[in-house]
Amino acid sequence: MIALLARRARAQWPLLASLLAVLAIGATLLGTCALLVTRTSERAVEVAASRADPADVEITAYTVGVSPGNARSVSADTHGVLASAIAPYHATISTRASSVMRSLPGDKEAYLSGVEGLASRATLVTGRWPRAAADATSAGTPLEAAVFDNTARLLGLKVGSRIRLGEEMTRDPAPPLTVTVVGLVHPLPDAGWDRDPLAGEGFDPAPSDSAFGRQVQAYGPFLVDLADLLTSGSALDRLEVGAQPDLSAPRARDLDRLTTSVLAADQRLAAKLGDRVRIERVSSALPRTLIDARGQQELTAGAVLALALIGIVLTAIALALAGRLTTGVRADESELLGTLGTSRGQFAAAATVEALALAVLATALAIPASSALHAALTRIDPLAGAGLAARPAVTVPQVVAVAGGALALAVLLVALAAWPATPSGDRRRRRELLARSGADVLLVALAGVGWWQLHAQPAASGTRADAVRVLAPALLLTAGTALALRLVPPALRRAERLSARGRGLVLPMAAFQAARRPQAVAAGLLIGLGCAAATFGTAFDATWHASQRDQADLAVGTDLAVSLGAPPVTGQSTAVAAATGGTVSPVAQRNITVGQWLGGSGASPRMVAVDTRRAPAVLRGRGDWASAASLAPAAPATGIALPPGTTPSVIGRASGKVVVGVTPWLLLQDAGGLRTTCNGPAIPFDGKPHAVPGCVTRPGLSLIGVALPISGEPWAWEAVSTVDVTLTLPGASSTQKWTARAASPESAQLTGPAVAIDGDRIRMTGTVQFADPTDLSRTLVATAFPDPGPVPIAVSARLAHDVGAHVGSKLSIAYGVTPVSAEVAEIVPAVPSAPGAPAALADVDALSRALIVRGDLESPVTAWWIGNPRAGAEARVGALHLGTVTTRGGETERLTGSPLRASLPAVLRVLVAATILLLLGGVVLHVTCDVQLRALEVARLRGLGMSRRDIRRALLGEHAAVLLPLLAAGAVVGALATWVVAPLMIRSDTGAAPVPAALAHWPWAAETLLIAALVAGAGLAVAAVVTVQARRADAAHLRVAS
Amino acid sequence: MTAPLLTVRGVHRTFGSGAAAVHALRDISFEVEPGTMVALVGRSGSGKTTLLNVIGGLDRPDSGEVTVDGVEVTGLDEDGLSRLRRERVSYVFQNFGLIPVLSAAENVGVPLRLARAEPKEREHRVELLLELVGLADHARQRPGELSGGQQQRVAIARALAASPRLLIADEPTGQLDAETGLSVMALIRGIVESEGVTALVSTHDPVMMALADRVVRIADGQLLP
Repeated sequence: MIALLARRARAQWPLLASLLAVLAIGATLLGTCALLVTRTSERAVEVAASRADPADVEITAYTVGVSPGNARSVSADTHGVLASAIAPYHATISTRASSVMRSLPGDKEAYLSGVEGLASRATLVTGRWPRAAADATSAGTPLEAAVFDNTARLLGLKVGSRIRLGEEMTRDPAPPLTVTVVGLVHPLPDAGWDRDPLAGEGFDPAPSDSAFGRQVQAYGPFLVDLADLLTSGSALDRLEVGAQPDLSAPRARDLDRLTTSVLAADQRLAAKLGDRVRIERVSSALPRTLIDARGQQELTAGAVLALALIGIVLTAIALALAGRLTTGVRADESELLGTLGTSRGQFAAAATVEALALAVLATALAIPASSALHAALTRIDPLAGAGLAARPAVTVPQVVAVAGGALALAVLLVALAAWPATPSGDRRRRRELLARSGADVLLVALAGVGWWQLHAQPAASGTRADAVRVLAPALLLTAGTALALRLVPPALRRAERLSARGRGLVLPMAAFQAARRPQAVAAGLLIGLGCAAATFGTAFDATWHASQRDQADLAVGTDLAVSLGAPPVTGQSTAVAAATGGTVSPVAQRNITVGQWLGGSGASPRMVAVDTRRAPAVLRGRGDWASAASLAPAAPATGIALPPGTTPSVIGRASGKVVVGVTPWLLLQDAGGLRTTCNGPAIPFDGKPHAVPGCVTRPGLSLIGVALPISGEPWAWEAVSTVDVTLTLPGASSTQKWTARAASPESAQLTGPAVAIDGDRIRMTGTVQFADPTDLSRTLVATAFPDPGPVPIAVSARLAHDVGAHVGSKLSIAYGVTPVSAEVAEIVPAVPSAPGAPAALADVDALSRALIVRGDLESPVTAWWIGNPRAGAEARVGALHLGTVTTRGGETERLTGSPLRASLPAVLRVLVAATILLLLGGVVLHVTCDVQLRALEVARLRGLGMSRRDIRRALLGEHAAVLLPLLAAGAVVGALATWVVAPLMIRSDTGAAPVPAALAHWPWAAETLLIAALVAGAGLAVAAVVTVQARRADAAHLRVAS
Repeated sequence: MTAPLLTVRGVHRTFGSGAAAVHALRDISFEVEPGTMVALVGRSGSGKTTLLNVIGGLDRPDSGEVTVDGVEVTGLDEDGLSRLRRERVSYVFQNFGLIPVLSAAENVGVPLRLARAEPKEREHRVELLLELVGLADHARQRPGELSGGQQQRVAIARALAASPRLLIADEPTGQLDAETGLSVMALIRGIVESEGVTALVSTHDPVMMALADRVVRIADGQLLP
């Protein structure tokens, strides 16, 4: 038997080489995918961790309420807990601490801060950085301190000034201490000052946590050496220890341990610190970052497996074809051996030996081939761009996948050899037809279930790569192709009937052969499915990329976004416009409450307000947004132009015996439409002019509003007073008609508000009561614009669904703590920058007016959005250090080029290439075997007087008549699968359904090129084989046959 | 005296070279008169098929000359040979040589399609020929649905379709039982007489030889006297 196999192998080596090639291609595909979902996948998690935003991996331990005696030990223990949580990674640990408030003369308070790395967080304006005192614990030894330049100006400090900070404002106060100002500094943006008690502002006229309910003004920080602060005997209001782990060379297994360790750090810190602190907490985005990375990795692996399965199905079909053709070629030999008494068992044994030999050879070829292919793939984009370049290597999962795959395919060969297709009689043909129809129905049913499962998968996040998601695409493509193949024979028969009417032989002969020979479409499933898989793979790649772009567009909401790290300042819009060019819009974004509804399932309702008059130029995402312009107020607000360099002043008069005062807030608008506020200190109603020094005017400013929160003596519940406040604007002149109202009319503490403008003076009057202790209830607001009424908003479909809103619905919204009335003007699929969230889109001017009239003068602007910026705008606006800069392109790059997702486009390339290879290989194999089997028939045609050229033309026509409909059917199935399946297979980076929903994309140019290449490749292969066969069709065949 | 339809002069054909060379034909010369049926008789491997292939232009001799109906076959190029087989010479193969996917009528129509005959003329001729070979009722059946004798009759009808001057039949009864073989030979004999076709039929069946006008014997590539 072995001798027979060896001799047969020598005689039929081209056939065996074809089988080996198909096996090796399939096994190589498996090995490559195994490497992608194991080695590359693990590496992707490591690269993602090493590239993570520092903020996403930082671990911060917060402690609050540390008594003076415990400051050092708490700091040291917190360091220890963080270091052990991060081990074995090294970390950069930085500490910042702030003392509790100490009193200053005149209802003022101040605090000390110690900040490590101060020189990287602030610039030195004058003087020097503070140094550690020789003995900070020694009473009376002054501490060296640096203060913000604006704090120094407000407190009248300069380098060399000594200031005595009084007792701590606590129930168990530490004694006063003295600091010497050694330097004035200016805080740098994005340097962590947002965690300062005064958010790095240096001054707060009304701190929210003022002790004992007194009206005080807070100043600070007085920046001293951290060690001095910890040993100065001051109680710490807050102590923060931040650790930035060094993840430059992480290992995936260590990262999993790190996740667990950081999650447990909070409990360990609590146990360690005990009652030495009032509150302690470890906060970090690192576990979520790493868990998300693992989730993305699993999602990508699932998609890779789904695509790989298509390749494996194709390989199995190619192998089945090759096996069938081999059986056909060996039919005479098998018949002879059977006649000589060879048993079925012996046939099976021979087939097993041959298949095993092929499997071993294929494994031996596929292991190095898959390693090399994988290494080559990782050295080109997108894997190379994602930092996943790797050397060729052999891994256990790869070897198992290759050997297992080759063995499984070999079993298929054995099965084909043991149960060869035999010439069929009528009964057998009926039975086969029945079985085939049953298989078709089963396949279609399974594909239907797969599609339904894909369609019904939850829209929420989920990273489970279930069997349905993996199997469905291959099932759908195979079922679609099987059904499409049923349409090919009738089409060929129609073509045959048409061509039979002609005079010549070439065309009718080609049509007769194509339509009547069952073997003509033997490769149909391979060719059809191959073309379907290749076109589907190409279109899926385009659909996936388009979806990532759509997601990026909607997530960023514009071309370039600058999220501000601090409230905007006058002139910022001009600076941004100069840096970026294009269309610039201020943007207000924050979570809101709709009625009593805070949102559900983790998504808070969100307000996004932009300059909707520029919406088409600024907003991105599906839709043209032209209708958003209707959300803007009818006319822009123009206030009273203020001459630069002047200082407004206020005169207040009040009737009655109650001591009344006001802290005037002025609302200024710059040339770019940005509204900012300035205010002065509390002013008594004494009939004397008081300057508002914080409101020294700059060029281009105009005044569009004034808010007067009127305060009175506590406990004067029954008092009523008429107030009369005149704001003088030196150099200004106006006769505008302003409107005045109570910011909180429902409290009825301010009645009869009025405003009148006369030249450079704005006079505001009203009657106040003092039953409500909050100043807001007595805030008079005068504005250059009338009461805006409900803010027109466009709400996302989700918000509309969640709150049951429709066009015309009135909604009560809390923007921060300010109530805003809104009316739904439009329902849109999603709001830019709030994909999938319940969100509302408003005009920033309209929203700003609605907030202002409710006494909320703080600028709601939190970002700048720029449409169509100039080249290089990202770098230029980044240099302004305003905050985080995001671009649509950058977000698209992050989504498509992320190491955790780059395997998907990479495996699509492999799939398309392997498909083309298998398809063309199958065509060559089929045509070769077919023409070989018909060599005698071709020779007889020569004998009948048919020229070689006509024989070539007939054979080419015959194969073209089969190939072209099959390729066309495959392309149609690929297109249908793209429409039906591809959008369902795409998930966002969190595993949720993408927002906006993925839309199928059919890249006409690429698909046309692909199909042309397939037609050309198949045509060339057929032409070459046919030419050789036509040349060989001579008397030799007739002689052999005779 | 009429000119011979077929003239074979000094034809040599050798396959292979050196010690392994097989001299299939050695100095073969003979003539065949038009309208006669000549039986080419010899054992298997004697060179009958090679000689027929050389005469029909399917194979080229190493030397010598073959003339059919005044056309020197050995001087024709590929196109000329194809034309010769379309217009003057036709074949009947031992194993019938029918194209499996075509019906009996379509098989008979192949030479007419090669000659680009008008469809109506082609259909009429096919009908006549099938009637001639007694298979008018089997026109739509495919070769697989016909008996061996019926298939060979279809092959003969196909060979006659283009009205050839020379009909070459290579052991046309080789795969048939004696009775069917005899009927096929009788059919060829009848056609030679009714259609005036010249037939060169290879056989080793003595019964068949009796139907021929002349017997040419060949052994080891040489004609026997």
